[in-house]
Amino acid sequence: MDMAGKDNLGAEKGNDDPLNFHSPNMSSDWQFIGANLANSSMGSIPTGNPMAASKGDLLESSSCSSASMVDSFCPANWEQTTHSQNLGFCEINVQHGPSTSNMLGIRTSGLGPIRTGAERTVGIGWTPPNAMLKGGLFLPTASGMLPQSLSQFPADSGFIERAARFSCFSAGNFGDMMNPFSIPESMSPYSRSMASMQGPHRVFSGEGSKTVSGEQYQKIEINVTENPKDVEHGAIEGSPLKNERKTESSMGPHDEPKRCSAVSGNESDEAEFSGGGQEEQSMLEGRGGEPSTKRLGSKKRKRSGQDNEIDQVKGATQQPSEIPKDNAKIQQQGNQNLVSASNRPGGKQGKQGIEASDSPKDEYIHVRARRGQATNSHSLAERVRREKISERMKFLQDLVPGCSKVTGKAVMLDEIINYVQSLQRQVEFLSMKLATVHPRLDFNIEGLLTKDVLQSRAGPSSLGFPPDMTMPYSLLHSSHPGVIHTVLPGVGNSSDALRRTINSHVTAMSGEYKESTSHVPNVWEDELHNVIHMDFNSGATSALLNGQDIRGIVSFPT
Amino acid sequence: MRMHNISSLKQEFLKKWAMGLQTYRASKKDMSIWERKKAIKLSADIAMASTRTANSYWSRALIYNSSKNHCNKVPVEHVLGSESECLVKASTQLVMNNKRVRSKKILKRSCSVRRMKKILAVPQVGLASSIAKRLVKKRTQVLKSLLPGGEFMDEFSLIKETLDYIVSLRVQVDVMQQLADATDRLNRSKVINKE
Repeated sequence: MDMAGKDNLGAEKGNDDPLNFHSPNMSSDWQFIGANLANSSMGSIPTGNPMAASKGDLLESSSCSSASMVDSFCPANWEQTTHSQNLGFCEINVQHGPSTSNMLGIRTSGLGPIRTGAERTVGIGWTPPNAMLKGGLFLPTASGMLPQSLSQFPADSGFIERAARFSCFSAGNFGDMMNPFSIPESMSPYSRSMASMQGPHRVFSGEGSKTVSGEQYQKIEINVTENPKDVEHGAIEGSPLKNERKTESSMGPHDEPKRCSAVSGNESDEAEFSGGGQEEQSMLEGRGGEPSTKRLGSKKRKRSGQDNEIDQVKGATQQPSEIPKDNAKIQQQGNQNLVSASNRPGGKQGKQGIEASDSPKDEYIHVRARRGQATNSHSLAERVRREKISERMKFLQDLVPGCSKVTGKAVMLDEIINYVQSLQRQVEFLSMKLATVHPRLDFNIEGLLTKDVLQSRAGPSSLGFPPDMTMPYSLLHSSHPGVIHTVLPGVGNSSDALRRTINSHVTAMSGEYKESTSHVPNVWEDELHNVIHMDFNSGATSALLNGQDIRGIVSFPT
Repeated sequence: MRMHNISSLKQEFLKKWAMGLQTYRASKKDMSIWERKKAIKLSADIAMASTRTANSYWSRALIYNSSKNHCNKVPVEHVLGSESECLVKASTQLVMNNKRVRSKKILKRSCSVRRMKKILAVPQVGLASSIAKRLVKKRTQVLKSLLPGGEFMDEFSLIKETLDYIVSLRVQVDVMQQLADATDRLNRSKVINKE
């Protein structure tokens, strides 16, 4: 049938073959979209099933990843009588890549250009939702189009805060896309609210904290508890004040959207602090010297509910925390008690599994609420929690290679995930390799490593052997490759000597992650040659020869 | 933090790993390559976990998972040595506890979700932040799936455990790599000698 048949999707029941396009190569793609469109109304969907399934995934994933607006859009629109709009929507959701003009053209002008639109979209192809974020780009434009859209953004502080938080994300994918859309909008309500609410510290400190959050996007909360109260958000945002870590100046450019003059003062102050480096003292002292109108005494005394790893930091924490206590603009004492009381269970809960072995310490954290912000136990606990998280993320940054550039929680998490996955794969791969080399699992680790020590420590891939190697080798001349027992007497292997040698060797060998990854493939090739020469058991050989691709080999046993 | 004792970690790991591997030496049957690989990996994992049992949750989860499988009993016990029984018990306890806690939390959350939905009459306005939140959430989920015993942790401890886990993995990789290198060199030298 024709594309024109699509007009009558709702009406006709018998559109079994909706997408016989004029050009055969396009039909497959269209069967997709048609299959999606006709999910419930249509009967059998002829050949689009496998694609429909994946398409459904695509839709799902896109809808999951995009804002909730998508969720509200799509289902709502399925019920619409005009299926043309559905088609348009489907395209929007599906075609993440293509330009908006196509989509808009399709949507606004109804079914007329569907065919042409189809051609365009098909020509562009169906890109996998790697650009899920780009789907978000359509949504703003779509919102303008649709009556039931959420296009009107209330100019309240809640939105300001979100926009502010959002601008923290501008590093990475969001920056180029969302900025044009939301920043202009965010600026106007922002300035408006600024003008209107100079007095109450509530918003002001909220704004100030937003600048901080702009610079310290690590603070962006994972927690999705959608508290509509601005105050609570302000409290949450205010937590970055406590941040003892510096955020790189790479955040500088991302702060540009926030150009409110009143805020810039805060920014510079905060920049000073964060420029102070990782010393908490400098930060807190600097803060002490700050104009008190802006920074109200939000101090935190971290009890030793922290872990051992951050003992140093803690030590630094506890010291300066005493200093500002003097010049603190204090809340009611009751707040503190309330907070500490409420944090106790929270703290305990979070630390169940971890600190079972730690010595019993005070498990609650004193947090003083900032003035004008919610002293709700939830928000304060939130703040504490997020600070802890960002601390830890800092450590992780140092650990994971390539993470030195602070880029935000999501990206960092991504890096961490990649790193852990690659490490796990390496373990698999290495264990596989060792399995091939040692057919009977009777390798003498000590002997091996001692010999390793005897060789040059310069590089693992060196082929030259020092002359003192020949003696033990001659001993092994006839033995099986995996058995090296005879090395033992030759080397005089005492446990102490072993420990020393291993120690010195491993410290020399504790190379970089990258080094090892680049090294592994080379060794694998050498191993290949070895295998061929050594005439290992055929199983191993065939496995090696078959799986030239390292990944392929690793995936075998799983 | 722990950088100063990485070499001691390595030694400990190596020792325990060797102990675990020894248990396989005694077996008479010929093992296929997959079995060998599994044995190697298992011993390595257990060894790694046992060096960190005091401080981390993931290690106990790992031990717990491994001990569930009966084939693994011998090396596990061997590696863990004398403390094997109480360690296994402790890990089991811990994991079960966390499971219980976790399920309670999930229950609570599901009850409160309905309340929150009523409160939030206004649809989500912050497009970007919600996208970001979702991304982060997704990724924490992925991370949880990667980490042994990670599903039961809250976010905060997840990061700490990840830290620990990364360090241990690195140690493991390093030691295994060195062993592989040493074997390589040995074999290569044999080839040279033969010719």
